[in-house]
Amino acid sequence: MADMLNVAVSGLRAFQRALETTSHNIANSSTQGYSRQRVEMATQEPQLFGSSPVGSGVLVKNISRYSNDLLTSQLQRASSSYSRLSAYADKAGALNSLFANSSTGLAASLTRFSNALQGVANTPTSIAARQVLLSEAEGLTTRLQTYEQRLGDLESEVNQQLGLEASSITGIAANIAKLNQDIVSAQSQAGQAPSDLLDARDRQLADLASRLDTTVMRLDDGGINVFVGNGQPLVLGGTSATITAKADAFVPSRLTLAFQTTGGSVDIGNSLGGGSIGGLLDFRRELLDPARNQIGQIAVALTEVTNGQHREGMDLAGNMGGDLFAVGAVEALPALSNSGSVTVAATRTGAAALDPYDYVLRYNGSGWNMQRADTGAAVSFTGTGTGIDPIVAGGVSIVLSGTPASGDRFLVRPTAGAIRGMDVLISDPSSVAAAAPIRSAAAVTNTGTAAISAGEVLDAANAQPRSTVTLQFIDATHYSVNGVGSNLYTPGSDIDINGWRVQISGTPVTGDSFSVADNVGGKGDNRNALALASALSRGVLSGGTQSLNAAVTRFIGSVGVATSQANSSLDAQKVIYDDSLSAVDGVSGVNLDEEAANMLRFQQAYQAAAQMIRVTQTLFDSVLEATRR
Amino acid sequence: MINRMSSAGLHAAAASQITRQQSLLAKTQSQVGSGLRIQTPADDPVAMMRILSMEQNRAGLEQYEKNSNILANRLSLGEQALADATTLLQDVRERTIQANNGALDELARRSIATDIRARAQELIDIANRRDGNGEYLFAGFSSETQPFSRTAAGVVYAGDQGVRSLQIGADQRVADGFSGTDLFLRIPEGNGAFVTATGVHNGTGAIDSGHIVNAAAWTSSSYSLNFTSGTTWEVRDPLANLVASGNYVDGSAIAFNGAEVVVTGQPVTGDSFTVAPATSKDVFRMLDDLARSLETAGPNASGKSLVSTAVAAGLTQIDQALDHLINTRAVVGTRLNTVDNAQAARDEADEQLQGSIGKLRDLDYAEAISRMNQQLTGLQAAQAAYTRIAQLSLFNFL
Repeated sequence: MADMLNVAVSGLRAFQRALETTSHNIANSSTQGYSRQRVEMATQEPQLFGSSPVGSGVLVKNISRYSNDLLTSQLQRASSSYSRLSAYADKAGALNSLFANSSTGLAASLTRFSNALQGVANTPTSIAARQVLLSEAEGLTTRLQTYEQRLGDLESEVNQQLGLEASSITGIAANIAKLNQDIVSAQSQAGQAPSDLLDARDRQLADLASRLDTTVMRLDDGGINVFVGNGQPLVLGGTSATITAKADAFVPSRLTLAFQTTGGSVDIGNSLGGGSIGGLLDFRRELLDPARNQIGQIAVALTEVTNGQHREGMDLAGNMGGDLFAVGAVEALPALSNSGSVTVAATRTGAAALDPYDYVLRYNGSGWNMQRADTGAAVSFTGTGTGIDPIVAGGVSIVLSGTPASGDRFLVRPTAGAIRGMDVLISDPSSVAAAAPIRSAAAVTNTGTAAISAGEVLDAANAQPRSTVTLQFIDATHYSVNGVGSNLYTPGSDIDINGWRVQISGTPVTGDSFSVADNVGGKGDNRNALALASALSRGVLSGGTQSLNAAVTRFIGSVGVATSQANSSLDAQKVIYDDSLSAVDGVSGVNLDEEAANMLRFQQAYQAAAQMIRVTQTLFDSVLEATRR
Repeated sequence: MINRMSSAGLHAAAASQITRQQSLLAKTQSQVGSGLRIQTPADDPVAMMRILSMEQNRAGLEQYEKNSNILANRLSLGEQALADATTLLQDVRERTIQANNGALDELARRSIATDIRARAQELIDIANRRDGNGEYLFAGFSSETQPFSRTAAGVVYAGDQGVRSLQIGADQRVADGFSGTDLFLRIPEGNGAFVTATGVHNGTGAIDSGHIVNAAAWTSSSYSLNFTSGTTWEVRDPLANLVASGNYVDGSAIAFNGAEVVVTGQPVTGDSFTVAPATSKDVFRMLDDLARSLETAGPNASGKSLVSTAVAAGLTQIDQALDHLINTRAVVGTRLNTVDNAQAARDEADEQLQGSIGKLRDLDYAEAISRMNQQLTGLQAAQAAYTRIAQLSLFNFL
């Protein structure tokens, strides 16, 4: 009888556990990362009754969780990719909407500037038209600087998020280490890890995976090791490391991630991938930096083209034109760790050769080598870096002075600082050089039919482009210059003197004379304004194949393409992530209907076991009844 | 195939479906609201690039339109000045013909001369005309310098030979006027090949402007036509070599080296005329010379013959100037035509660009509305399904 009671009581106990577990499952049905638990039951060891074994009840072997490590790690990988794309697409979207508006955007500003040049060409004497031109030049500068500033804001956001992520990661790593300790001690004491602690650690791992790519190694004692980057140990059993956001080697305002070790910090910014950190770093490297460099490149080309043509013109006061725009110089930043005394001076060689890339110049102990800063690809260059033989690559010319130490590095940024230094240098409308400094004339007394072209300035730096030169025909096929010499006349061919060029065509007669002279008083001349306007549509970038307008269009297109690609990758990854999530959920998630059925099952079994106790009592009573005499 | 769904997963999936439907609907709604299919470069980068470059083209066309209007305005102003100058010269021509009337007394001739001087001043005013911005029309590049002014030496030109062009198409520039040199200074002299003048004048001989009969035989040089008697003439070159000689018949042609001049009246021995190569003669000097000749000629037959020569030369010169102006006006007409043609081409291009931009960027409303209806139906269905499924629970039956 006592055995029977024991069996019934074991059932009661077991089903009580089962009901408790069901209740726990129901209570946690909405808990993030919770894995449903079950009570694993087994029969107790049978007792030998005579020669035949009789069952002795039920035993609660274990309360375990439903989980599938394979699915869980799949989910972590999917989550890592998804978070990366999500952070990337989010930032790309911000970049995209920055350049979205076509009526107030860069292309529109450039068009308005070009139209203002046409306005000056229409009425070169009008101060109002010149004022409009200067305002549009200011407008274009401001537009570029606004973009530059917004891109800077985006960079600050990235910095800020990297800082937050670094401290989150350090916190998560500490949590995992603590959970490792708890799990290991629970497992050594009870022989089994508590499901809820395992769930908690999985949640932390998932959280970590959504921030950066990790490699997880499971240990026999129930603990785990977590590695990041190039195998840096973030968690080793019960101990965790620290990740900090630290200043970039070249640009202190730019943050990267560092792994703290006892010996110092290791820069792991370039080896991290995946997760929101990967997304942020990729965005900065693939979109933000190129975007800054490209608009910088456009600013440099605009400045070069405009200034070059403007210097060839003459303003209302009769002076040669000066520079219209100022632009920031090439940045050559030494690494903080440099130990040599070498300094770098870099200048641009021309917009046509300029590429929108940053370069790292490194001294290897015997010579310099050059790499792309973003991809690390080797860059070939000419020259040795001396004043007479500068290092030339990608549109920059680099002169090194001082003594380098092995390992010294410099970051050369040809266009990144261009816009920050941009300014409109002319404030007086009459200083706009709309006229050409020279004009040509045919003597009124000429009897031949030859005519002279208006003339153009080729070299504004020439010492005397504006002194008068007379070309007189000494016979029908030869002319003298200022009464000297005899030059063969070829109709329509270029005559280059004093840095200008004219053509004479037609049939001259002996004695016919032509002159090229200072365009003094030529306030109504618009030749240089027209030249400026057409210079804007001339190919200046990419080896002179791409006009400014085309460069702007291509730039905005490239931002659009990158954003739309990021969005569609995000959509695709979301499907994968959702699938992984529902696969894990399918195994581990709580289904209330299932729990209801379990509850009924366990309740009935519990009631039946209780009934057995009553039966036992009845049986016992009948024995007592039968023996009472 | 998912065998098992968690309750939370069921709800989350339904909610995520509904959110997705809502975001699609919001996108469609924003497209319908703005009427634009492409709202940011990311919506369709390739189309956006084309739209941007076409918009740049359109902005360029708009500017060319403005330029053309300014150009047409300036050309019209110039045309008006040319028309006025033409009318003026035609008046002067009539007065000049009147001056040749033998019955005219000296006083009347002087009044005609005064009249011509007044008209010359008027012509200077026309040549100094300005446009709406106060720029001189005919000063070349020196458009803020008054081009023509009268000095003791005659009318002088302070402008230059520059001609400003305006951009009316991507590769099309059209000059917006003429320099004073081109219009008023560079006018062929005499008959274009040579110019005749009176040398020694004791008789009553008058010479016409002459003309070239055989261009191949003509050698440009300064000849002198001398009367060796009242009935014989000779032509000598600058080196005093005899070129031709003959007997003089009043009113018949004297031919030499492919040229012909006609002398009328009665020259006497020693009288001479010059035949010099033509260069160019500005209109102001032409009018001054004409007026001076009319003023200085005496009342007798000799004076009248000088008037006759001056009138003949003056008429030839006026006709040269009128021809020149008429040719120039034809050039203005051609330029205005070019402007009109460019305008037509621009309008066509603009229409095409606008059409292409519209096709790329504008929303197809029919498609968008039907898409929106479809999305609405989808959203409603998802919501209905969710509310039904969410109610299901075994616990309801316990």
